[in-house]
Amino acid sequence: MSSFRTIAPQVHSVEKIDFVEPVHQLLPGGTSFFTLYGGTQEIVKLDFSFKAGNWFESSKLESLMSASMISEGTTGKSAREIADRIDFYGAQLNSLPYYDNNYVSLLSLKKHLPHLLPLFAEIIQDASFPENEFEIIRQKRKQRAQVDAEKVGLVAQRNFMRAVMGKDHPYAPVATSESYDQVTLEGAKSHYLRHYYSGNATLFASGDVDDSVTKMIVDNFGAGWGTPFPFKKDQPEVQGSEEKKLFLERENANQNAVTIGKRVPTQHHPDSAGLKLVTTIFGGYFGSRLMSNLREEKGLTYGIHASVVSFVRDAIFMIHAEVTAEKTEEAIREIFYEMQRLREELVPESELEPLRSFLLGRMLEDFDGPFARAQSFSSLYEAELEVGYFDKIIHAIKTTTPEQIRDLARRYLDPETMYTVAAGKR
Amino acid sequence: MIQFDKRILENGLPVIVHTDRSTPFVAVNVCYNVGSKHEDPNRTGFAHLFEHLTFAGSVHVPDFDTAVQRAGGANNAFTSNDLTNYYITLPANNIETALWLESDRMIGPKFSKKGLDVQKKVVIEEFRQRNLNRPYGDVWHLLRDLAYKVHPYRWPTIGLVPEHIASATLTDVKDFFFHHYAPNNAVLVISGNIGSPEAFKLAEKWFADIPSREITHYPSLQEPMQEADRELTVYRDVPIDTFYVAWHMGARNEKNFYVLDLLSDILSNGSSSRFEVKLVKEQKLFTEADAYLSGENEPGLFVATGKASPGVDIHLAREKMLEEILMTAETSITDYELEKVKNRVEADLLLNEIGYLEKAIQLASFEIMGDASEINRQGEQYLSITAADLLETAGKLFRKGNRNTLNYLALQNSKK
Repeated sequence: MSSFRTIAPQVHSVEKIDFVEPVHQLLPGGTSFFTLYGGTQEIVKLDFSFKAGNWFESSKLESLMSASMISEGTTGKSAREIADRIDFYGAQLNSLPYYDNNYVSLLSLKKHLPHLLPLFAEIIQDASFPENEFEIIRQKRKQRAQVDAEKVGLVAQRNFMRAVMGKDHPYAPVATSESYDQVTLEGAKSHYLRHYYSGNATLFASGDVDDSVTKMIVDNFGAGWGTPFPFKKDQPEVQGSEEKKLFLERENANQNAVTIGKRVPTQHHPDSAGLKLVTTIFGGYFGSRLMSNLREEKGLTYGIHASVVSFVRDAIFMIHAEVTAEKTEEAIREIFYEMQRLREELVPESELEPLRSFLLGRMLEDFDGPFARAQSFSSLYEAELEVGYFDKIIHAIKTTTPEQIRDLARRYLDPETMYTVAAGKR
Repeated sequence: MIQFDKRILENGLPVIVHTDRSTPFVAVNVCYNVGSKHEDPNRTGFAHLFEHLTFAGSVHVPDFDTAVQRAGGANNAFTSNDLTNYYITLPANNIETALWLESDRMIGPKFSKKGLDVQKKVVIEEFRQRNLNRPYGDVWHLLRDLAYKVHPYRWPTIGLVPEHIASATLTDVKDFFFHHYAPNNAVLVISGNIGSPEAFKLAEKWFADIPSREITHYPSLQEPMQEADRELTVYRDVPIDTFYVAWHMGARNEKNFYVLDLLSDILSNGSSSRFEVKLVKEQKLFTEADAYLSGENEPGLFVATGKASPGVDIHLAREKMLEEILMTAETSITDYELEKVKNRVEADLLLNEIGYLEKAIQLASFEIMGDASEINRQGEQYLSITAADLLETAGKLFRKGNRNTLNYLALQNSKK
């Protein structure tokens, strides 16, 4: 075989990423409206985001249930009529609850928008919350929660969040499927009425958004709807549990789930970009320290990951893996061993240099095409960050030194400060 | 319409190029005509285990992942019952790195005892995580075993049991490679920001000198026509009763696939589907109800499943679902439903034309089945379906003797 194969082809580094901001206008009704024109197909995606997630609930599950009820009927149309129309035009409608903002999205061929936009407006502006549908969805969600309670991975992660934040914190998940018996139709509906109004909305339109589409959107959503709600909330106290080690017993498990981590500074903090890089080295990609050690060297797990989960008002550093039950202690020991190593040894350039290129490639991916760009900018605005944040991330990827990495690990990855939650067989 | 150019290299490797100038990336996708259906029944899970092993490096490349990272790319792979597919995505000007790696994977992996031992453990952990330690995780092991008696679709890609994976030897691994991995048993697809002339030139440079190999073709096993309905009931530590009913259907490239895909859509795709409207919302028999095709290339299964609402007898719910399926198949589709399907197909096909990687994977999969250009005939296949087709296909599918029922019941309910 020819010898040219023994030498790696020359590689070029990512030179330019297009951070051109979407076009913005403030609609008369108070909605912040962004357009991102582009793409190769006559497809349009609309993404509404409302400050209406868990953070804004007066009691648990109201946000989830109100998001689930959005397309289940309006004053003038039944759930069935809405579903018929959306499906007839081959469109996709999604209403998703999250921790901070909730999203309602429509993906449609451009030519069907004249039929679908008035309906989309009706759903968002005039949902009626029929009782029949509410009970059906409650049962379905409850059953799903019952199944989830049998998955050790979810049990570990959810109990980890409850331990770190305190069980009543808005970012902490509910304890059991029985919580679904507590949420009421009235609670869900008033959550919707309070938070899904025009002045509390951001709208992204991406894809083939030409002038005619923009005009249609303004016609349907410009004037505004709903009544502004004076939402006020003090930062709820984080009440992390005293006990930093937790074991949730599941006697029939033949694999145990382990979640380890703690709170870290939000994306607004100057250390945040560097800490993301440290987390990636530790467990954020296939060649990470944790994957190399626990998977590729010892075969203890199918996958182990570390990440920083960013909320608008908090951030969590988290490691998660599922391992053979008998090897749980060994896995935990190796995780802390790798943590300690990051705090003591300098990361060699041979490890850092390919990682920098890899992360720049992922950054380029985040801006590839109108839909990916809309997603990236939408997350940026939700976190109340400026476009310069992307440059800050790139700067951190390109220039953070091995010494800075070690210092960040010393500052934030102290084993003493970590919560360790395991679920499975003892 | 997905435009592409195709050439076959002298060693038998088909090369397909699809240009998409809207992205700064390219995908290099190599699909091998080997899946779990090519395995020895006593050595199942092998194709997938082998996929894991090829990432440990190859004849001229010490470390795949670092090379991909250095080029700003990402890579992964998947194995199914029918095929094994590898892909690398990276900025277009670094395409040669991907071609260097994938051609070297084809020349030969670096086999080591240590690499094999570790990946055996990793795959067994994957087996536990996905199948043994997850509620309802063994459904497809049970259902395949019930529905197939002869055909190798009888076992899932992960394998029949972890012991099969544990017993793999280095000799097995080497044999497997040289019997299946070859230019004349694969497809190379290059998609994204690159023109055909350049892509063909580079494909030639990196792949043309890999010799073709003698491929072992196992005798193709046909599943005999099922004569009697089968039923299996198991009790598991799960919170909710469920069932899976499966009927044998035809192959992926036959008309019946499109007809039944359409039937499953009418039954359960979207909130306006019959299952959702009647079984979930009106009659409140189920909290979730679904119908779908298992989707393999050779004759697969049409599956109906659901989770009963609290307090509803699972057997009653199942019978009601079967009634609904038969009624849907036997009453003509209305013009309204036909137009709805037409709109959905149009939208789905356009959406499928967005991602350069997804297009590469689909082109490769159609080429493995025989002809990449079938990708552009899907629309007309769906649109040519008539009510008579539906009636005829359903008649064959739901004939007496073709049904396999798996009742998957909660252990706690059996004690009542």
